[in-house]
Amino acid sequence: KPETAAVLKRTVEALMERGAIVRNLENLGERSLPYKISKHKERHRRGGYFLIDLEGPPSIVSTMMDHLGRDIDVIRRAFIKHPVSQTEECSGIIPVNCEDKLIAKK
Amino acid sequence: MAARAVAVRGLWRRLVPAALWERPCRLQHERQPGRCDQPIQMENPYKEPPKKCILCGINVDYKNVQLLSQFVSPHTGCIYGRHITGLCNKKQKEITKAIKRAHVLGFMPVMFKNPSFLTDPKICNVKYPE
Repeated sequence: KPETAAVLKRTVEALMERGAIVRNLENLGERSLPYKISKHKERHRRGGYFLIDLEGPPSIVSTMMDHLGRDIDVIRRAFIKHPVSQTEECSGIIPVNCEDKLIAKK
Repeated sequence: MAARAVAVRGLWRRLVPAALWERPCRLQHERQPGRCDQPIQMENPYKEPPKKCILCGINVDYKNVQLLSQFVSPHTGCIYGRHITGLCNKKQKEITKAIKRAHVLGFMPVMFKNPSFLTDPKICNVKYPE
């Protein structure tokens, strides 16, 4: 457990160094991985999942991926776009007029 | 019959020739302006609300593996097509992208379905050969 705390601390500090603002850090729990992942000459079966909410310049991405790749304790790294809350009013299935599509457009 | 009988019982004497009988006559030039005979153009008032697919209104996330696993085959782990899931265009694409992402990030198993989610309610109408 202190190891995971150390990893997180290192990561967050590295992010802040490059000028990213960390908004939130979520722990998605520790569970057994869906498949065995071999990384850094070791086959891992269990892992902890963490989600860091951050805001920063896009130039950080490549440098951070390098940095995390060199970290032994990090099994898998990824940067994902912040999911903007999708419109909850879905208009439903709009009936497609197949006839119009079949008739060749002049 | 050229002559029309006026509504008088038994008195066939009073036969008014059709030419003199007053009928409502709508001639083109006599039509009153503003009073249209044609049906009024309006949107179909009996229109049904558009059909919604099961995920309409639900936010699809790569993190909730349970939801994503419902659209995956338990034997091979392959993603069901649109004809099986019955989702609309948008949602099917979102689900596919989320499943692929979950595979890569190590949230969801690839070759099979997570055994703890096998007893989930069946959404897709899969027909297995008997």
